[in-house]
Amino acid sequence: MIDWLYLAVQAAALAMSAWFFVDTARSQLVARRHFVGVAVLELLLLVQLAVSVAIVPGEAGGGKALFFSYLVTTILVPVAASFWGSIDRSRWGIGTVAASGLIVAALMLRIHQIWELQIHV
Amino acid sequence: MSETEAAPRALAAGFGRLIVLVYVVFAVSAGARALFQVATKFGEAPVSFTLSAIAALIYLVAAIAIIRGAGGLALLAVGVELAGVVAVGALSFAVPHWFPEPSVWSHFGSGYGYVPLVLPVAGLAYLLKRRKA
Repeated sequence: MIDWLYLAVQAAALAMSAWFFVDTARSQLVARRHFVGVAVLELLLLVQLAVSVAIVPGEAGGGKALFFSYLVTTILVPVAASFWGSIDRSRWGIGTVAASGLIVAALMLRIHQIWELQIHV
Repeated sequence: MSETEAAPRALAAGFGRLIVLVYVVFAVSAGARALFQVATKFGEAPVSFTLSAIAALIYLVAAIAIIRGAGGLALLAVGVELAGVVAVGALSFAVPHWFPEPSVWSHFGSGYGYVPLVLPVAGLAYLLKRRKA
């Protein structure tokens, strides 16, 4: 993993989550600007996936299947949460998508762990 | 919005929607982890891995019950979950050699940022509030 890219993904996930929780507190419904926010996070995650496809197979350690299954799951979480949250007509619609940002951050932490301990050895 | 005129709100609407998301994520992550561990190294820590599988199942039941509006079943699943995380959390400190590998519930879910402990409490509070309303 490239450190600055990993940190950029973490920053984007946490920033999106914070922004959406503020909108939860302000009782906002899911709107177009939120989808733009999710799209930015997804773009960074896809760059992370592309970079990983390029560098992970050349590394020495095992755990590569685990790494990629985590990463693909991580990419799917905000998408699923956006569908599931956007049908809600209350503040918790965007609150649900906000929570998905925290889930992405937690999963990325685990992915970085797998990279450090099992792949880039 | 007037509460009396609105149609009865689904259990999975509002805050319930966030709860369902977290339950589904935990069902998938605990379930996938349990399957992986049972398939590759069941002999090393059978108690931990079996517990992870049971936890995954309970998360799944709770999520489906809330989505389908089955309040009673949801309460039961979340109650069992709370009892499970407290019992397993305490046991993992009292008899650590039963848990050489962590499970979702060992040490009160510390490996998962204590979300496994907070989740059933939030779930119970939400379900009981909705039941009264």
